[in-house]
Amino acid sequence: MTTSETADGTGVVPSRELGRLEQLPIRRIVLTILTIGLVVIVGGGILKTLTLSGAEHLGWAFWANLVVIGLALGAVYALIALGYTLVYGILRMINFAHGEVFMTGAFVSFFFAQAYAASGFLNRSPWLSIAILLVVSMAVSTGVALLLERICYRPLRNAPRLVPLITAIGASLFLQNTFQGFFGAEPRGYPRPDVLSGTISIGPVSFDKMDPVVFATALIGMFVLNRFVQRTKTGRAMRAVSEDREIASLMGIDVDRTVVVTFVLGGLLAGIAAVLYAMTFGQVSATMGFLPGIAAFTAAVLGGIGSIPGAALGGLVLGVSESVGPYLLLSGVHVPSPFELRAVITFSILVLVLIFRPGGILGTGEAEKV
Amino acid sequence: MSPALLELQGVTKRFGGLAALGGLDLQVDDGEIVSVIGPNGAGKSTMFNVITGLYAPDGGNVVFRGLSLVGRPPNQIVKLGIARTFQTVHLFPNMTVLENAMVGQHSRTKGRVLATIVRTPGVREEERVIRQRATEALDFFGARLSGYRQDQPAFVLSYANRRRLEIARALATQPQLLLLDEPTAGMNPTETLELRDHIKRIRDQLGVTVLVIEHDMRVVKGVSDRVIACDYGRKISEGTYDEVASDERVIEAYLGRRHEEIG
Amino acid sequence: MNRAAFVRAVKGGLLGGVGVIYFALVGMIERLDTLSIVGSVELSWLLILGPPFIAAYVLARPRVEAGEMRSASASRALWSGGIVGLVSWGLVAIGVGLVQWIGIDTVRSVFRSVSPTLIQILTLHHPVWPGILYLAPIVVLGALAGGALPLLPRRVRRPIITASGVVLLLGLLQQLVPPALDQLHIQRNWLYSNVTLGLSWIGAIVAFAVTFAITWFLQDRSLRDLVAGGPGARDRPGAEARVRTVLLVGWLALGAVLLAMPYLVGPVVARDLGFVGIYLLLGLGLNIVVGYAGLLDLGYVAFFSVGAYTTAVLTGGQLNTYKGLAAPILGAHLNFFLAIPIVVLVAALIGVAIGAPVLRLRGDYLAIVTLGFGEIARVIFGSTWAKNLFGGSAGMTHITDAAIGGYSFRTELHFYYLALGFCALAAFVSWRLQGSRIGRAWNAMREDEQVAEAMGISTIRYKLLAFAMGGAVGSLGGALFAVSIGSLTIASFTIFVSITALAIIILGGMGSIPGVVVGALILIGLPGVLTPLQDYQLLIYGAVLIVIMILRPQGLVPNVRRSRELHEEEVQQDAWMRPVEEGEVPVARGIEA
Repeated sequence: MTTSETADGTGVVPSRELGRLEQLPIRRIVLTILTIGLVVIVGGGILKTLTLSGAEHLGWAFWANLVVIGLALGAVYALIALGYTLVYGILRMINFAHGEVFMTGAFVSFFFAQAYAASGFLNRSPWLSIAILLVVSMAVSTGVALLLERICYRPLRNAPRLVPLITAIGASLFLQNTFQGFFGAEPRGYPRPDVLSGTISIGPVSFDKMDPVVFATALIGMFVLNRFVQRTKTGRAMRAVSEDREIASLMGIDVDRTVVVTFVLGGLLAGIAAVLYAMTFGQVSATMGFLPGIAAFTAAVLGGIGSIPGAALGGLVLGVSESVGPYLLLSGVHVPSPFELRAVITFSILVLVLIFRPGGILGTGEAEKV
Repeated sequence: MSPALLELQGVTKRFGGLAALGGLDLQVDDGEIVSVIGPNGAGKSTMFNVITGLYAPDGGNVVFRGLSLVGRPPNQIVKLGIARTFQTVHLFPNMTVLENAMVGQHSRTKGRVLATIVRTPGVREEERVIRQRATEALDFFGARLSGYRQDQPAFVLSYANRRRLEIARALATQPQLLLLDEPTAGMNPTETLELRDHIKRIRDQLGVTVLVIEHDMRVVKGVSDRVIACDYGRKISEGTYDEVASDERVIEAYLGRRHEEIG
Repeated sequence: MNRAAFVRAVKGGLLGGVGVIYFALVGMIERLDTLSIVGSVELSWLLILGPPFIAAYVLARPRVEAGEMRSASASRALWSGGIVGLVSWGLVAIGVGLVQWIGIDTVRSVFRSVSPTLIQILTLHHPVWPGILYLAPIVVLGALAGGALPLLPRRVRRPIITASGVVLLLGLLQQLVPPALDQLHIQRNWLYSNVTLGLSWIGAIVAFAVTFAITWFLQDRSLRDLVAGGPGARDRPGAEARVRTVLLVGWLALGAVLLAMPYLVGPVVARDLGFVGIYLLLGLGLNIVVGYAGLLDLGYVAFFSVGAYTTAVLTGGQLNTYKGLAAPILGAHLNFFLAIPIVVLVAALIGVAIGAPVLRLRGDYLAIVTLGFGEIARVIFGSTWAKNLFGGSAGMTHITDAAIGGYSFRTELHFYYLALGFCALAAFVSWRLQGSRIGRAWNAMREDEQVAEAMGISTIRYKLLAFAMGGAVGSLGGALFAVSIGSLTIASFTIFVSITALAIIILGGMGSIPGVVVGALILIGLPGVLTPLQDYQLLIYGAVLIVIMILRPQGLVPNVRRSRELHEEEVQQDAWMRPVEEGEVPVARGIEA
């Protein structure tokens, strides 16, 4: 029988002391070292870059250009991130295949764009053609999103969390390769109407004509979505389901329909982002959704997952970080081709946010209760 | 007079705007059985969670055998000698009954990786000891958790047996202090009385100090050396069962004040 | 047949048709047309008949109607099967017609895989009209078969399905089995045709009959009982010892077969098996992280790349630069087997480094962050910045062939043994960990992390341990990979490696070592011997992940180590509740009359 310390030697007394290693507050030590290391690396890198002199000096025009590029990129991320944050808010799951929702819209709209460019329609009525492209892209993206919800996510709504996540990964893989099989693996050039081609220069700063369009669209999109979620009955239903699914259904909310609406909204936004992205970067391919998908997810987490303004803010911050960051941190220490390493920056931001402030910029600063 | 085994000094814990614990002072001496009673929402389970390290208190201190527990991870606190059960049973449903109990022995054993892979005699002996101690902990409840039952996955057990298994698992950690969170909730009268006797045996036979949260006054009356009553995260009364049961503040906490007395 | 059933049949037919059209558009029908399974029936027919068959099968299964479980009547099942077939065919016919009308070249400019060959297949190599009509009865028959299958009593149905599966498998393994039989000097011309390379009709029929008979016989009997000496013999004295002896003999036989394998199947297949071994190592390692500890790691390629590059650098690999070869900065010229412990140690440390930031993260976040680490590894190894360490985008070459003395391990036969050795080691380590205190801690952590912590398990320690061990095993795979080819480029270390490893353990069964083996054999071995499938590997992996998660999340060979006996007992306990099908006599097990 187990004995206590007051028994007289009839059993083995367990050691109730802590090992040496356990007595140290390891987590705090590691976090402190990490913070110091970060400050040194980031601060040092920035300092060295800004103190470059002579031929290597990077003037403010250089940085301004990067910021503009970053804002445009960030706007696209924001639009995609809104889709992630909506689905996460409602279902508490990351729609890993959202990047592919984005890709499908872009790709299908490509065929229309190609035809319009060839026939000249694209330049005769640019705004009409863009409108049609947007409609096509939104329709396809939303369709794919709905299929995903119906086939892959709804049957698994009550499964342990690992299961729908893996299914989503499978769906992402499946969609990418389906499109490769249908349409071929090579990237296709996405045309842009002349009215939006070329750059505008304000002093030494020049930016692509698409950039302000993208930026404005993202802002409008976020604003409209926010109004929708705050003011309408469906928006209220969405918020209710995201708080407590079971109780919401007891209050008479059709949970299935609400989930569908959520996916539709995410799909619509992704469809818009798809055309903007394709026109900005001039290219679509079957694998184009992967990196923007991850970046958009990072943006959503960065801004505070589940928060609509957060997704928008996170997108912009991330876009600028990705654009400016590599050059800012690494030029000073003479790292060649810093742009290659921008994925490292994206993921590092993600990891650091999740370690230090898991609720994101607009979150409460507390770790989410598990 | 020896220092208290466990001492809570002014412990506070807030969740958002709600103060679950508002300056709780509490003391448990070695060898006692102390019951904690109070209406729902009085912060009793929160107190357990703070003691065992699941939550960090916002203020105050928790001292066990002279050591402060605040900021330590739960697994260290188990190692120091505190074990607990949960208000809703939290077994490992797909592991067998015996394996659940063996998990309890985890903190009392080592287990170097390389040695485990090679299965040195030391490791084999350790496994034997773990199995033996786990079986002993299960045998504490007699025939209910022994024999063929030990190889069944935990999810097949009846509700009362699940509660017993949870206690056995906690006992397998060879604790000095055992925290029981409403152990008889959901049990019928026979099972309740049986468990009441088990609690006494835990102290008498095993020498383990027990701190029990309970609602069933038959149990409280039957086992306690001392009763502490809480409300709104504070201690409102302390003493023997009879003293506390007749304390006006305690009655008010449960039943409210008589109409004439209010304003 | 009533209206509701009719509508359902039509819907089923539409889905079936969509399935066939999908396979056509993605190019699989045309691609798989080059492979004959039985006689001159090509694999593509599986894709053409498959969707309608499945649709009809699902429709004919017993379903809940008005609160009762009702089986479809024979007439209803057959009618709906017919309708499914007809509608599926109709959809395909419309598709073919559209292609003809719009013009195949125009269609092809969008859908790359629509080719004249495809149309020919669908019209049975006749002119489109009336060729497309000839397709109709075939599809209808296929659907009818699917509808008829649930009508058969279970005793008949199961052997039929198993036997068909075996015939299909033998047909698929046409690159593997005939050469093996040749090596063993077994006459095989009756089994496999020399013309089509697939099974001959006679061979197919014989294989079907034999499998059918075996499955039929084993149906209501437990293998364990048979070995022990008869039904109910399990509890008799001496039975335990007999079972154990048989198991031991079985293991020894398996070991002998594995050792003799290269001589049985020839060098080409041995090389393929070696490649399977690399992924098997990845699967085993990921199995520790995901299967045992429950940590979803999507960046497992990081360990693979660490293992490969570290091995390359330590064993004399040279950097590819535009000026020729150059020595890497941290290079060394160690013997492969001396370098391995260092490689493993480095990988374990990286595992701890990866695990540390993610300790507090939950499933979804953990997955994305680990995915990020995988990408970071790829970026760093391939970066211009680290060019002098790892070769940048041009990679490294001249990696050792793991020779001891003059005995090189890179030849096909020898590589197989190297892979076999590493896999056996990894499997052994996994097995030991699983059944130990450490494995128990992982189990508890996986089931309920907070409670495990509250029971004294340091989740920090065990999560880090899982990453370290998983990383160590994965790095072995990387080391093998570096040796097998002798050179490395960063293009081999994409996220798809991680996803493939994940697919392997999901298909096989998380936490189950035999499952990982099965998964690797199916997902890596099969495409290895079926070249047409190689283009569609990732597509199939994606589909496998989806289907397994929805239909059978525990995988093909689930880990039932603890509860296997119990599961049987429990199932038997509830067996009396199952509706008794006609012709079945409930068998009481474990109760002696």
